[in-house]
Amino acid sequence: MRPGGTTAEIIYLPRWRPAGSRVGAHRGRDAGGLGTFRDQVPFWRLPEARRIDIRATLRDPFEGTHVRRFEARTAVEAWALVDLSASMRFRGAADRMMLASQVCVGLAGSATRIGDAFGLIACGETLRDDLFLPATRRRGRALDMAGRIAAAAGAETGAAGLVTAARLLVGRPKLVFLISDFRWPSALIEQVFAALALHDVVPILLVDSAEDEGLPAWGLVELDDLEGAGRRVVFMRPKLRQRWIARERARLDELRRIATAVGRAPFRLVDRFDPEALSRHLLTS
Amino acid sequence: MPVSAFLARLDAASPLLLWLLPLALLPLWVSGQRVTPVPAIRAAPSDGLSRAIGRALSLAGVLAIGGVILALAGPYRRGETVTRTGIGAQVSMLIDRSGSMNETFAGRQPSGGEESKAAASRRLLGEFVGSRAHDQFAVAAFSTAPMLVLPMTERHTAVRAAIDAIDRPGLDYTNVARGLAMALAQFGTGTAEASRVLLLVSDGAAVIDPRVQGQLRADFAKVRPNLYWLFLRTKGSPSISDRPAGEDTPQAAPERHLDLFFRSLGVPYRAFEVESAEAVADAIRRIEGLERDPIPYTEQRPRRDLTPVAYALSALGLLILIAGKLVEADLRRGRAAAAEATPARGVSRERRAA
Repeated sequence: MRPGGTTAEIIYLPRWRPAGSRVGAHRGRDAGGLGTFRDQVPFWRLPEARRIDIRATLRDPFEGTHVRRFEARTAVEAWALVDLSASMRFRGAADRMMLASQVCVGLAGSATRIGDAFGLIACGETLRDDLFLPATRRRGRALDMAGRIAAAAGAETGAAGLVTAARLLVGRPKLVFLISDFRWPSALIEQVFAALALHDVVPILLVDSAEDEGLPAWGLVELDDLEGAGRRVVFMRPKLRQRWIARERARLDELRRIATAVGRAPFRLVDRFDPEALSRHLLTS
Repeated sequence: MPVSAFLARLDAASPLLLWLLPLALLPLWVSGQRVTPVPAIRAAPSDGLSRAIGRALSLAGVLAIGGVILALAGPYRRGETVTRTGIGAQVSMLIDRSGSMNETFAGRQPSGGEESKAAASRRLLGEFVGSRAHDQFAVAAFSTAPMLVLPMTERHTAVRAAIDAIDRPGLDYTNVARGLAMALAQFGTGTAEASRVLLLVSDGAAVIDPRVQGQLRADFAKVRPNLYWLFLRTKGSPSISDRPAGEDTPQAAPERHLDLFFRSLGVPYRAFEVESAEAVADAIRRIEGLERDPIPYTEQRPRRDLTPVAYALSALGLLILIAGKLVEADLRRGRAAAAEATPARGVSRERRAA
């Protein structure tokens, strides 16, 4: 998904005012340079004669001199944290790793296009060094690494590596996209979100209709856990299907509760990656 | 019957094949159902019915494979002889085959609808044999010499056939002593497990040699049978209790002296003096009523082939498995919906490749 087309663009707004001197696309915390008008300050605070606001100066009954300040446009770092645990290998209505890769490619393209750096960490139980990308503005490298996610086969049965990954994200707040199916113990979910609490975390929950609305109403299904938790025969019937869906809802609610406590509500990505929907979510949440 | 006893009698035609039986455990690990990988099995709510069905399917697999292996090994239950206890007695029949048995009770050759003594006793004894299931019979006949007709058996068909033969034209004399010895020998040498009955059917008597008497007494003391004498008396001939007019010697009144001899044996003894077929029937009924003791009897059980049972078990397992297959559902039935999304994915792949 080359970010050439307009549809593939993911538009995101950081929730915080990023500090930093690197010029970028987001409204920064600092004032400076050209850009959007921010406020007026007394001349003594910003002694820059070029920015004197004549109107405001004339209007001031106390005859103070005012200077206009403009917002600095600052770059942020967008990171994608991809869960590579075995459950991500699930292929229902869609290939889950493919979806994750599409999100990453979209992010890599969108971030580098506006001058933000894109970083990628993929991990299962441990970090995957071959899929680690330090935040970079180099578009080709970012896209390449994001594309590689699609072929990455996770075999590890846990996602505890994400806690380690969170510790790698030190320094200034970053925009972190946490891409996973969140099939974790809720203790781990809390732990990961707590570790990422300094950042602007966007959980992207990969959902497959096959394990939700698409469940058959009747029939015998033998389930085999991708993470090796065993195998079980389930006799599907409408009542059980309802209970199953209700459980999924409860899981989502729990995730939402934990996620909103430290960041944004999770974005539910069902079957097909729609960049516009993600953009809407990012702008409104 | 205790299970262990049943198991002890199981055997197989080719037992080496039974070494394959561990294969029957395969379904515990491998399933015949289509396996659907899911991200987390915990997503599926725990459900008792599903668990039961899952176990049933595994068991059905075990049953299907195990049943086939068992059937190939050719299992069978060995034949055996079972000893049981019923109500009845060991009856040794000693039947007179002297020529006079072929006469009627009136002492004539049978003509028209008349029935000879032999025919009457044949008919009535035949009924006696069939009436109780667990009686054992031995049949011996005697005239001049004793004839072993049938050793002690519980096969009533054979006994009846033996009794059917007693109205063949008889031979001449009545040598009761050797007949009695043979009838006693029919009980075998073992100790008495059941009540023993010696049924002597005759229409006359003979002198028992005093030398033989001692031997007979010893035999009777050893075997201790209940002795019944069915005396088919011809009209006009002397009765058991008749004292002869002249000298009271065994030669003059053999019946009376045989009776006395029997009484002196010290075993339970009854004599039935009958002069008609009805009286014979009555006497037999009374004997039947008297002999109601428990008797151990043996039953032959033939070898039973259990292969069909094994195949049936296997078929049952297969049926369950097939049923499981038929109601199988695909969790990813949503592929139809995904098919719409596929072109979009294809495009995205192309784009990435570009």
